[in-house]
Amino acid sequence: MLTIHNLTAGYDAADVVSDVSLEVIKGKITCLLGANGAGKTTLIRSILGLNKIRSGRVSFDGVDISSFATHDIASRGITCVPEGRRVFAKMTVRENLQAGAFLERDSDVVAERLLQVFALFPKLEERFGQLAGTMSGGEQAMLTIGRSLMSNPSLMVFDEPSLGLSPLFVKENFRIIKKINEKGMTVLLVEQNVRQTLAIAHYGYVLSQGKIVASGSVDALKDNSELRAAYFGNA
Amino acid sequence: MDLGFIAQYFVNGLVQGITYALVAVGFTLFFGVLDVIKFSHGDVLMLGAFTALALFLGLDQLASPAWLSLIIMLCIGILAMGLLGALLCKFLVLPLKESPPLNTLLITLMFGSVIRESVRLFFPNGSNPKPFPALLPEASINWGNLNLRLDSVILISTGALAIVVTHLIIQKTRIGLAIRAVAQDEETARLMGIDFKKTVLATFALGSGLAALSGISTGLYYQEINFSMGLMLGVIGFSAAVVGGLGSIYGAIVGGLLFAFLQTLGAIWFSVPAYKDVFAFAVIIILMAWRPTGLLADRSAERV
Ligand SMILES: Nc1ncnc2c1ncn2[C@@H]1O[C@H](COP(=O)(O)OP(=O)(O)OP(=O)(O)O)[C@@H](O)[C@H]1O
Ligand SMILES: [Mg+2]
Repeated sequence: MLTIHNLTAGYDAADVVSDVSLEVIKGKITCLLGANGAGKTTLIRSILGLNKIRSGRVSFDGVDISSFATHDIASRGITCVPEGRRVFAKMTVRENLQAGAFLERDSDVVAERLLQVFALFPKLEERFGQLAGTMSGGEQAMLTIGRSLMSNPSLMVFDEPSLGLSPLFVKENFRIIKKINEKGMTVLLVEQNVRQTLAIAHYGYVLSQGKIVASGSVDALKDNSELRAAYFGNA
Repeated sequence: MDLGFIAQYFVNGLVQGITYALVAVGFTLFFGVLDVIKFSHGDVLMLGAFTALALFLGLDQLASPAWLSLIIMLCIGILAMGLLGALLCKFLVLPLKESPPLNTLLITLMFGSVIRESVRLFFPNGSNPKPFPALLPEASINWGNLNLRLDSVILISTGALAIVVTHLIIQKTRIGLAIRAVAQDEETARLMGIDFKKTVLATFALGSGLAALSGISTGLYYQEINFSMGLMLGVIGFSAAVVGGLGSIYGAIVGGLLFAFLQTLGAIWFSVPAYKDVFAFAVIIILMAWRPTGLLADRSAERV
C-alpha cells in the first residue's frame, strides 16, 4: 500500500536517514522501532511531505507521492498522529475534530464520522466544547487519534503516540490502535515501547542510526536474539 | 462640560476608532497566520482610497448617480486591494518565509514606499491633497450641542459590520477554520489537508480588503486624501493591534477604539489639537510597558 524505496533525507549537511526501504501492507500494522534519534520522525516527515526527500521515492497505492505537497498527500488518504500530539490548543474539541475532517465538505458525512469517533472515545463527546489545550495529556492523545480518524483515512501513521502518557493510558492507546486496525485500517506505528508494540503489530522494521537494521514479521523479530540484546533490552 | 459636547466627541472618536480597528485587524490577521509584520499595510489603505477616487472621477464623466458610484468604488476598491494583498503575499512575503522576520518587515516597508511614491508621481498632481467626493447623505440631527451627522452613523455601522463579518468568517466558515488552524500550527494544519499557501493568501486578501474600506471611509469622512495618509494610519493601526494583543481580533478592536478615545481625550485636554497624537502615543507606550503582550493577550483564548 505504502512503499518506500531507498529513501534518503536529512537536515542541512547531514543525512539523517539513508537508503531506507520499507513497505506497509494493507490492513496490517507495520511498526518502526528505534532508539531516540534513530531518525524515525525524520522518515515519517519525509513520507508526509514535511521534509524534503533527498533521494529515493515514496509511493502510495501505486502513485509516486514523493514530490507531493503535504495537503495533497493528506487528500489521498494518509493521516498522521504527529509526535507530541499537537492538538489545536486554542480550538475546542469540536473544532479540532472538524479540522480533521477539513477535506470533507458534506456536513452529513462529517456528522456521521463524529458519531463513530464518539463511539470510540465517549470522553470526547463529554468534552465537546472544551478548549483542547486545557485537556489532560491522555485526553489530548484521544483527540489527536479522533482528529485523524475524522478524515476517513486509508493509512494512519502514528509517531510515538504513547510518549509521555501514564502506563494506563499507554495500554489504552495500544488497545485503541489494535481496535482501529481490526476494523480494517492500515497502520504504520512508530514506537519505542517495544514489548507492547510487538504485541499488536504484524510486521516490523528496526531503524538504527538512519538505517534499517532488521525487518520481518513480528514473530521473526521477537526471535532475533541479537536484536533483543541490542535494541529491546530484555523485553 | 456639556453632555452634547461630550457626545459629539464620542461620535467623532467612534468613527476614527472603527477606522483604526479595521487597519489593526489586518495586522493581527497577518501576524496570526504567518508571524509577520507587513509594513506596507498603511500604503495599501492609501492606494485603496486613491483607487476609489480614480473610479469616482471616471464614473463622474459617465454621470453615474452618487449611490451607484459609491457602491462601485467600495466593491472595486476592496477587491483590488484584496488582490494586491494576495499578490504581495505571494511574491514578497511567502518567498521570505524561511528568512528572518526582519527581512519581511523591511521588504514590505520598501514596497510601501514604492506604492506611496508611485501615487505621488503618477497620480495627476499626486503630491497635493486631493478632494474626496462627499457621497454620503448630508442629513444631520441636532440635540443641543450634538450634531449627529448621518454620514458618521453610516461609517460607524459599515465599519462595525465589516469587523463582525470578518469575525464570523474566521469563526464560522471553512476558510476561517483553515486560517485558525494555520495560525496555531502550520504543519498540523497541512496534515489535515489544508492548503497552507491558499490559506495565507486568502488571509492577506481579507486584511487588505479591510484596509481599503478603512481608506475609503477616511476619504468619505474628511473629504480629502493624500499620498502619505497611510503612514500615520499604518502606525496607529499597528500600535492598536500591538497594544490590544497582536494575534487577537478582539484586541485589535479594543486597541483601535482605545487609540481614538485617547486622541479625543487629548484633544479635549490640550486645546492645541496637535497634542492629541502625542498624548495618545505616550499613553500607548506606557500601556505597552505595563502589558508587553497586549491588553487582551492573556485573556482572549484565540490566536486569530
Ligand atoms: N529540524 C532539525 N534540524 C536539524 N536536525 C534535526 C532536526 N530534527 C531532527 N534532527 C536530527 O535528526 C536526528 C534524528 O531525529 P528524529 O527526530 O528523526 O529521531 P527519532 O527517531 O524520531 O527520535 P525520537 O525517538 O527521540 O523521537 C537527530 O540526530 C536529530 O538531532
Ligand atoms: Mg521522533
